[in-house]
Formats: sequence, C-alpha cells, structure tokens
Amino acid sequence: MRPGGDRRDAAPRMLQNPAEARRVKTGTRILLTGGGTAGHVNPALAIGAALAGPGSETLFVGVKGRAEEQVVPREGIPIRFVRASGFPGARPSPAFARFLFDVFAGTTQAAAILLRFRPDVIVGSGGFASAPVIFAATLLKKLGLSKARVFVHEQNAVPGKLNRLVGRFAEKVFVTFPETLSLFPGNGALTGYPVRGRIGHVAPQEARARLDFTVPEGRTVVLAFGGSQGSRSLNRGLVDALGDLMPHAGRLFVVHGTGLFKGGGYDAEADTAARLAERYTEEERARIATFYLARSYFHDIASVYALASLVVIRGGSGSLNEVARMGIPALVVPKANLPGDHQVANARALERAGGAEVLYEETILSEGHLVETLDGALLARRILALAEDPVRRADMSKKGRDVLGIDAAAEIAHHVLHGRARVALDPTLVPAPTVVSNAVLLSRLEKAATAAGRSYRVEDVVEPRDLSWFRSRAASLLVHDEWEARNLGVKLLGLLGATDKVPLLLALLADRTRAPLFHRLLGGDFAQVGFVRRNVFTALARLDVVDAGVEEALLAGLADPYWEVRAESARTATRFAGRLARSAEVVAALGTRLSDPNLEAASAAAEALGALGGEEDALPPLLALAEHRFWKVRAAALRGVLSLVERGQVRNREALKRVLSGFLLTSTDFRPQFELKLSYRRVLEALSRGEEAP
Amino acid sequence: MIFWIGKLLAPFHAFSFLRLAEYLSSRSIGAALTAVLLTLWLTPKVIWWLQRRAFVDQVRETGIPSAFDKAGTPVMGGVVLVGVVAFSCLLWCNLGSGFSLLVLFGMVWFGAIGFVDDRAKMMAKSGDKGMSEPKKLLLQGAFAAVLVAVLASPLSPVPAHEASQLYLPFLKSSVLDNPWIYFPFVFVFVLLVGNSVNITDGMDGLAIVPSVFAISVLGVFGYLLGNAIWSRYLFYPLLPGAGELAVFASAFAGAGIGFLWFNAYPAQIFMGDTGSLSIGGSLAVASVLLKQEALFVILGGLFVAEAFSSQVQDKIGIKLLGRRLFARAPLHHAMAYNGLAETKVVVRLWIVAGILALAALATLKLR
Repeated sequence: MRPGGDRRDAAPRMLQNPAEARRVKTGTRILLTGGGTAGHVNPALAIGAALAGPGSETLFVGVKGRAEEQVVPREGIPIRFVRASGFPGARPSPAFARFLFDVFAGTTQAAAILLRFRPDVIVGSGGFASAPVIFAATLLKKLGLSKARVFVHEQNAVPGKLNRLVGRFAEKVFVTFPETLSLFPGNGALTGYPVRGRIGHVAPQEARARLDFTVPEGRTVVLAFGGSQGSRSLNRGLVDALGDLMPHAGRLFVVHGTGLFKGGGYDAEADTAARLAERYTEEERARIATFYLARSYFHDIASVYALASLVVIRGGSGSLNEVARMGIPALVVPKANLPGDHQVANARALERAGGAEVLYEETILSEGHLVETLDGALLARRILALAEDPVRRADMSKKGRDVLGIDAAAEIAHHVLHGRARVALDPTLVPAPTVVSNAVLLSRLEKAATAAGRSYRVEDVVEPRDLSWFRSRAASLLVHDEWEARNLGVKLLGLLGATDKVPLLLALLADRTRAPLFHRLLGGDFAQVGFVRRNVFTALARLDVVDAGVEEALLAGLADPYWEVRAESARTATRFAGRLARSAEVVAALGTRLSDPNLEAASAAAEALGALGGEEDALPPLLALAEHRFWKVRAAALRGVLSLVERGQVRNREALKRVLSGFLLTSTDFRPQFELKLSYRRVLEALSRGEEAP
Repeated sequence: MIFWIGKLLAPFHAFSFLRLAEYLSSRSIGAALTAVLLTLWLTPKVIWWLQRRAFVDQVRETGIPSAFDKAGTPVMGGVVLVGVVAFSCLLWCNLGSGFSLLVLFGMVWFGAIGFVDDRAKMMAKSGDKGMSEPKKLLLQGAFAAVLVAVLASPLSPVPAHEASQLYLPFLKSSVLDNPWIYFPFVFVFVLLVGNSVNITDGMDGLAIVPSVFAISVLGVFGYLLGNAIWSRYLFYPLLPGAGELAVFASAFAGAGIGFLWFNAYPAQIFMGDTGSLSIGGSLAVASVLLKQEALFVILGGLFVAEAFSSQVQDKIGIKLLGRRLFARAPLHHAMAYNGLAETKVVVRLWIVAGILALAALATLKLR
C-alpha cells in the first residue's frame, strides 16, 4: 500500500538516541546487501541508517531490475549491482545451471566490489541478492583480504534455503520471530523487524484533520489492504463482505486500500469498483458508501493507522511487523504455497503470540475457471467478531506489541557495536514453526494410506485443526502453472478426503486446453497432462463421491486418449459399482474398452464389466476374450466372469462351464515360491504372534 | 606376466615350450580358463562375505509376478568380475601395450565408480540413494577426458595417421578425419556406452550374457585388426598390438561365464553398478581403441535400446510431458509388463543379443 520510499520525509533517522550513533567509530564503511522485493530492501536500509554515523560511508549492493534499483538511489545511497538468481532446486536443469553460473559470476563481481569498497561491516537482509556478497566476503576473509564483519537479518519466520546457508557464514543472524532462533543455533539473535523511520503515533483528532476524507465519530475503523500492489482475493473478498457488514453500518467504517496493481488482466482499483457495481444495487451502494471508502493508495498511512482498530492484511513480514508495532490487532490472510509457506508461518507465529488471527483463502470454481478466493461471508463474520470485542482487541494489541514492538534497528546497531543485546528479550526458545510442506504431507499420507488400506481415514493422520487449511492449500495448487504442482494438489485432495473439492477436480478433467505444440509433437496431448488426469480418477475413487458430474467424467475418462486414464477410470467405475445412475452407458463404454490396445486398460475394463454388468451385456464380451493375445487380459476376463457368478448374474451355469473349457490357459508368466524365504517368514510370524500372547 | 617370463626364458632350451606364451591364441585360452576357474572358486566365498557385511540388494517392487522377492540377494558381484579380469590380464596380457593398459584402466575406473555407488546405496538402505547423477557423470567424464588426451597424444597405441579417423560399419574407408569432431565424439561415446549396460542390468543373467557376446566380438576384431595379414585381407587399418584386446576379451568372457553360473535365475548374486559400469567402460574403451565406435549401435544394440527407451520414458515422458510414452521402460520391463516371465524375457533378449553379435561379426566381410 505504501512503498517504502514514501516515508522518508516523514521520518528522521531510525536511531532514537544520537549518542549511540556517535559510538560508531568515525568513517565506518557499511555495505548493505539484499533485495529482490521491498520487503528485503527496507530492513537493510533501516539497519544501515542505524549504523551510520559521522563520516561513515554506505554502499548498497543489489540486483539490477529489482525493487532496490528504484528504492535505494532515492535514499541518496550509492548502489552497485551483481548477478544473482533464486535457488531453483538442486536437480540438473537449465535453471540450475544458470543459478550456478549466476552464483559464480555474482560472487566474482561482489569480490571486486568488496576489494574496492573495503567495508568494515556487511549487513545482508536476505533475498537472493545478498548471497553472492556474503559468499565473496567469507572467501576474502579466509584469504585474509577482508576484515569485514558479516551480519544477516532474517525477516520471515521460516528462512529460505539460501538464507539458511548464508546464515552459517555470518557473525550473527538477527531474526524477527523467536521461532526462527532454533534454526541458527549459536549465532542467532532475536531483534525483531527493523523499519525505516517511525510511523509517528498521530493523535486521532489530528489524524482526522490530516486525512482528506472524513471518518464519522464513534465508528470502529477497519483498515484492509493487501500490500502496496494489492491482493486480488483480499480485494474481492472484502467487497463481498460488505453486504454482510451493511446491517452494522452505524458502528463500522471500512477503509480499503486496493493497491496499485495493473496488468495481467487485473486492475486492482477498477476491478474493485466493478465488483461493487456488479454485486450491489444502486440503493445498496449508497448505503455502503456511508461506511466504506476505497483508495488505491494512502499517502498518509500514519493517520489511517491512528484511526484503525483492526486491520485485514497479507502475511508479509513487513506489514505484519508494522501493524503489530503500531498495536493494531490483525486479521491475517496469508498467501499460500509461497517458498517455505513463509506468509503462513509468519501469520501463525503472530497468531500464536496472540497478536493476530488467521484466515485462509479457498480455491473455488468460478465460471469454469479455478480461482483463489476469500470467502466474503466468512471474512465479514471474522471482522464483526473482532470489531465487537474491544477487550480481545486490546489484548491482541498488547501481545502483538510485546513480540514485534522492539526497536529492531537500534537493537541490531547495539549488537554490532557491543556484541550483545540492548534490551533483554524473551530468551525462551520456541521450536521452529512446522508448516508441513505439501510434498512431505503427501508422503506422510501415502504411507498411512498404504499401511491402513481400506480403513484409511485422514483424520487419523492429520490434526483436525490443520485439515481444512491443508485442503485449501492443496486446492490452491490446482491453479499452479506447473503440472507437477497441480498433480501434487490432485493427489493431496484425494488423500485428504476433500469431498467438497470434487468440482475442482472435475474442472481439471473438463479443461481440454491443448499442450504446447512442442509437447504434442513429442507425444503430449492436453495442458492437464496424462498423470494429472489419471490421478484425478484415483482421487475420485478415494473420495467416493458419485454424482452426475462424476459419472459424466467417468464416461469421458473411458474414452480418454491416454491409456492410463482409461484404465484408471475403469477401475474407478468398479469401485462405484451399484451406485451409478448411468450404469448401462458405462457398461456399454466398458464393452468397447475390452478391445483397448493397451492391456492394462482392457484388463481394468474386463474387471469393471464383471462388477457392473449382467449376463446379457457383460458375459458374452468377456467370454469373447478367451483367446486374447495377452494372458493378463484373459485372466482379467476370468476375474470379471467370477464376479458375475458371485453376484448371481449367471443363470445357465452348465453352459458357462462348457464355454470356459475353451479358454486359452497357457501363459507366459508364473509366480515362483521361494520355500526358504516362506519358511523364514513363517518363523517370524510365529514369533510375533507369541509377543502378543502373554 | 607370463608373456614376459616367456620372452625371458624361451631362448633357453629347457623352457622352449614357453614360446607358447607369445602366441595370442594360447594366451587368450589361458586368460579365459584362468578367469572361469577363478570366478567359480571365488564367487561363493564372496557371496558369503557380502552376506555377512549386509551388502545385499534393497527392496524394489517391480510389479512383475515372476520377479518378486529378490531383496536380500548380495550385490556387487561386479567386484569379482573386475578383480578376476584384472588378475587374469596381469597374468596373460602384454602389459607393455597401450591397448591392454587403457582397457584395463577403463574397466577398473568405471568399476570403482560403480563400487562407490553400490556402497552408498547399501549405507542408505535404499535403491535410490546412490551417488548423484552429476557426480557420476563428472567422474566418468574425467576418465573420458584422460582417454581422449591419451589418444590425441603420441602415447596413443593407435597409429598417428589413424588417430582421428572415424569408420562406419559396411564402409571400407573412413568417413571423417577431423580431430575437432572425432575427439568430442569419443568423449560423448564413452559416457553413453559406459552407462548403457547399467540400465540393462535389471534381471537375472540379462546383462552378463549380451556383454560376453559383445566383448567376444570385439576380441575377434582386436585379433584380426592387430594382425597384418588379416587386416590387409579384410581392408581394415592395421592396429599393431590390438591383439591384446583378444586376450582381455577372453578373460572377460571367462569371468562372465563364471559369473553367470551364479547369476542365472534365480540369482545368488547380482553384479551391481560395479559390474555394469565396468562392463560399459570396457566395451566403450575397446570400441574406441578398435575404431569401431559406430559398430556399437549393432553390437550393443540391446544396450542401446534399453538405455534409449529408459531415457525417453523418463526424461521426455515422465518429466516433461507428464505421461508414460511406453507402457513400461526399459525394454525388459515392457516385456514383463506384457506378461512374460523374467526367465523368458532374459532368454529372448539373449537371442536378440546373439543375433546382433552375429550381425556385427558379419560387418567384417560385408563392406
């Protein structure tokens, strides 16, 4: 909402105590590094300002084309650039090769800058830009070419991989959340989040006078904003919530910062206005105008803060710290599936401390597209609950300030100068927040599902508290650009028992966007690749929901161009036997599948026919497989016949016996038995039985 | 060693029978017999030793009915293979020849990479946690670079005027004589061929028999190309000393047959990466030294098909397109998926490998 640079006139230097600044020896050479986003640049600048003293010189090292290129020169600090890129994961790929090259080139460039600037203190604030500088500094120190002391500040509750590595080379790692300390044993120090300047505590009366809009007296002011660029789901969710807030218009006032984002088919301000016009009648809009005000951007955020009793924000470390320090209770809507899920971790850390509540987004189907949304009604309920509970708000305000209200920049300056903390901060070590990653969650669930088999229940594996959040996070993977992520989401939804997400899964199947030409030339078909479609059926079978949409998908799946999808949908049909409204159509489709060129699809169809069909429609096609060239298909046909017999579908048993005698029974495979291993296992089984008995 | 002893003592009348030690034919037979007998004697002891140290195969579910319950079979039979071939060659090869030294070096180097990989898998108790692929390629690349450097230098056992010639099967004259193309090609060739056997090694006896076929054919090539009369008769460039490769191939074939004794279905020991990489390395170096690189497409056609199907399935299908391009890969898994028992797959692929070896031999005259 307020890009960092705009506070410079409002704010004097961070350090409140000028005497402290004088203790920095004259001519200290400070090198700041970090960036990529304003969230990394601003803390670095704040620390730099706190360290700067008379005669000191500051240089910023960042990456060209990122936030720092704009922000830093405006502060009057010279900036130099190095090559750097984010860590793409350690597997052989062009991106990884480029990353290695960038690290190498960036470190060389940084070394050159370090040799020329000869800094006394280096402060890295994370983001990939700081890595090459810290590597170079460590290297030069080892070679005896540099005496610079190296410090790192970590803004998020869960540091990125690169920052974790970089932290090892630092003299000290300053962390924002107590949870993070356990990741830097030995050199971690809790300091909080340094902000540049102070957003002055404006008195409410003065704030009213300074603002260019009027807030009626006696209202509870709710400030909602999704960062300087804005957040689509938060903006839309808030507009949707207004309807439910209307009855409370006399007691509430909602100030909405939509953000400045324009591009990619989304214009934050225009979209918000359009949604308002679309959802509410003119009469309602007039009513809403009495308690709602939207701006793309607030030049005097301090005055808005001064009036706000509650904020609705994203989980970025910068905004969280700011509002907590201002003592404003927060309703946090973290963005899911960011690296290390750091917004969620931040939000949960503040929630645990008692300074915030967390509200998650959902992925839903809207006009055939999957979109991430914030449920307006839910948001309204949560806003009202907090707005009408001043006691709880006061408690949150105090607790938020307790954790994040530290003057971090001064604290860090003290650490650098004196090597110890200025104020005693709560030294209790809290274990690092465990936001289980999707991949870890999947392997945990898969293991449990394999072990438990049919009796698998997700509630036995996942805590109920986390379940809905895991489900919504998995659903949000379905809109991901990479099919691997969507695939992961599909698998998770199945194992998480997310029956309410079935429409989303069906939307993936219905999506027939073609794959890029290059992929199609190599054998690909649709953007929702074969594995994704196959796993949707696996998930549907697990979720065990049968409705018109699922049946439609089943029929489509049996005619899918990819054989694994055909096979899997046939297996899913078996599972749904007896519950399908369009059973006859499915049986007909399965009948044609028997001649599938792929033996797995043909086998699965044969078994499904046995489970779904009857003597007239299923038995003849199954018996026609008597001389099929693959024995596996013949075996599946026999299993199909067996289920027909067991289901009492066969009346003329003697005739069936006669026909079966014509089955081709030679096969090219067998199952060996290793007598020795069998005996060995029998002994083990006997032994473990003995353990249970007294 | 025996070659030198023979040279030294043959002039004396009492030891004149040691002249035999100079003949390639008698040394080859000696090498093969030594290797076979040594392998038959040594392998049971090694099986016992590996079992004691828990160097056994980790659980791997293949989904093939007749190929289940194999976990716990000792792995690293390749150690015997490499050790026996090396020993037999020390006895019977002319160690002064660059041909025998380079091919032995290749075998041992690749075998050592495989050994480290096998060990890592045992330590991690997982079939997937061996040496990382880039690390493996780096170590293999180091060898390929050394090989190229030697071949480009005066130390090369290949005559200088042949050093950068590229020959194709069925064509009498070389198609290319450009070191800037030939040597990079050799580098890539060594990496590809060196790893190709590894993927084939997935069923009892599947890798060793085609390997014996292939190395034997290369041995025949070595004998003929190292012989002035034969090479002139067949219009091949004469490679003096290449006959040593026949001795090496004999040792390898002997050790391979000895290994099959124990590795035949159901296997008592697997060769592991130690075995498959050392075989790949030997085939690669021998092909390069004999200037028969392109012949490998025929001679090692089975290995090529296995490696190709596996790579296409994994890199293009599963990683890029998000689907399987073959029902299963590599080739032997696809055959098992179609319902062939492991034993049947193996024998059928032996037959294929035999046909390919004969076809490769036929290129000697069909040019």
